[in-house]
Amino acid sequence: MDVATVDAILSKFPETKGNLIAILHEVQNQFRYLPEEELRYISKKTGIPITQIYSIANFYNRFTLKPQGKNRVCVCMGTACHVKGAERIMNEMKRILGIEAGESTDDMTFSLEEVRCIGACSLAPAVVINEDTHSKVSPRQVGQLIKKYQQPPSPKA
Amino acid sequence: MPDLIHLTINGQDVEARAGTTVLEAATQAGIYIPTLCHHEALEPEGTCRLCIVEVSGALRHGIRVSCIQEVKEGLVVETETERIQKNRRLILELLLGRSPYCKELLDLAAKCGVMTSRFLTGENDDCVRCGRCVRVCRDKIEVYALCWVNRGNQRKVATDFERLSEYCIGCGSCAQVCPTGAIKIEDRGNERKIYMWGQIIAKFKLEPCKQCGRPFAPKKYLDRIRERAYKPKGLELVDAVCPECIKKKEPLPPTTMDLSKIQFKMW
Repeated sequence: MDVATVDAILSKFPETKGNLIAILHEVQNQFRYLPEEELRYISKKTGIPITQIYSIANFYNRFTLKPQGKNRVCVCMGTACHVKGAERIMNEMKRILGIEAGESTDDMTFSLEEVRCIGACSLAPAVVINEDTHSKVSPRQVGQLIKKYQQPPSPKA
Repeated sequence: MPDLIHLTINGQDVEARAGTTVLEAATQAGIYIPTLCHHEALEPEGTCRLCIVEVSGALRHGIRVSCIQEVKEGLVVETETERIQKNRRLILELLLGRSPYCKELLDLAAKCGVMTSRFLTGENDDCVRCGRCVRVCRDKIEVYALCWVNRGNQRKVATDFERLSEYCIGCGSCAQVCPTGAIKIEDRGNERKIYMWGQIIAKFKLEPCKQCGRPFAPKKYLDRIRERAYKPKGLELVDAVCPECIKKKEPLPPTTMDLSKIQFKMW
């Protein structure tokens, strides 16, 4: 368990009451998911019952308790994207990555997620990979898109 | 003298103390309103929606959930209008959709004239998501062993990470308050198991009664009683005795209590 990282996050929030969601966001940004041990540690440190933390981690779609791949692929399935054929893009993603929505590839480079409206309806169908929004994606482009993220852009990382 | 509020329920003049709910006022006046999630010992949460009533007068005319609606001066409440009955039947059908064999629900349904449900999901789940168990564990016992997980139609009650709970003390309050018996508690030999959805959520070894030797309560539970009921009074629970032995009124071993330490509180 990475105590130092969690402690660093917790030290940012002197008042834990009401800050649980912010803490969980930071933890998820660090680990790409909410690891059980870390959550139990947070519970012990803040005095917030673990059931309450677990409940909140479960309630919000943004939080995940499963380890996620390095690249988070979110296919928007909101109304506008759905009408514009998000289904086909999703199927293509599933075919190329070989996983279902909500799963991660075995080498942990990609995880695929189905999200509801991301507020980019004019760009429909939209796909968000990590922080980048890709607009008007066609099923043909999906392969290239994935390729772009397969290798890290610079060998530094 | 507490403030008395005057309201009308089904044409009957009812007096209730300020701060009570419409459901409480109706129950005191002997008017029956069906409910599953309400429990007099727990804070109301308004989850089952069966106790809906039609209000007018002091509030804008409409349907309210009586277990979380406070009484108001001049409130006019109707509990059995056609509109209410229709809505209540719908709620019952929706609840039956997932719990078609739940006895308590079927009894209520029969009372309200619901024969079948249009929303059968094929599931057979006695839990109606009333949240009594979560509330008693959180607010009364204060061990926080149970919580809600997921949301929408995936919502359910669970322990942390849905494994055997290490926080549960095995008091059995959740099974006690469950309106449908979805949580089961089983004492066999010197072992207590608590089941939910056929899965064991907590397991305990039972400590024997100091008088008859019958295993009767988990150690964690006794510790909790020691901490919450005895310690604040400067007492110590040395010999835990099972309820049956207490009822027999056999004299307790003299070491159990130091009467001089008891301070009686007046209220």
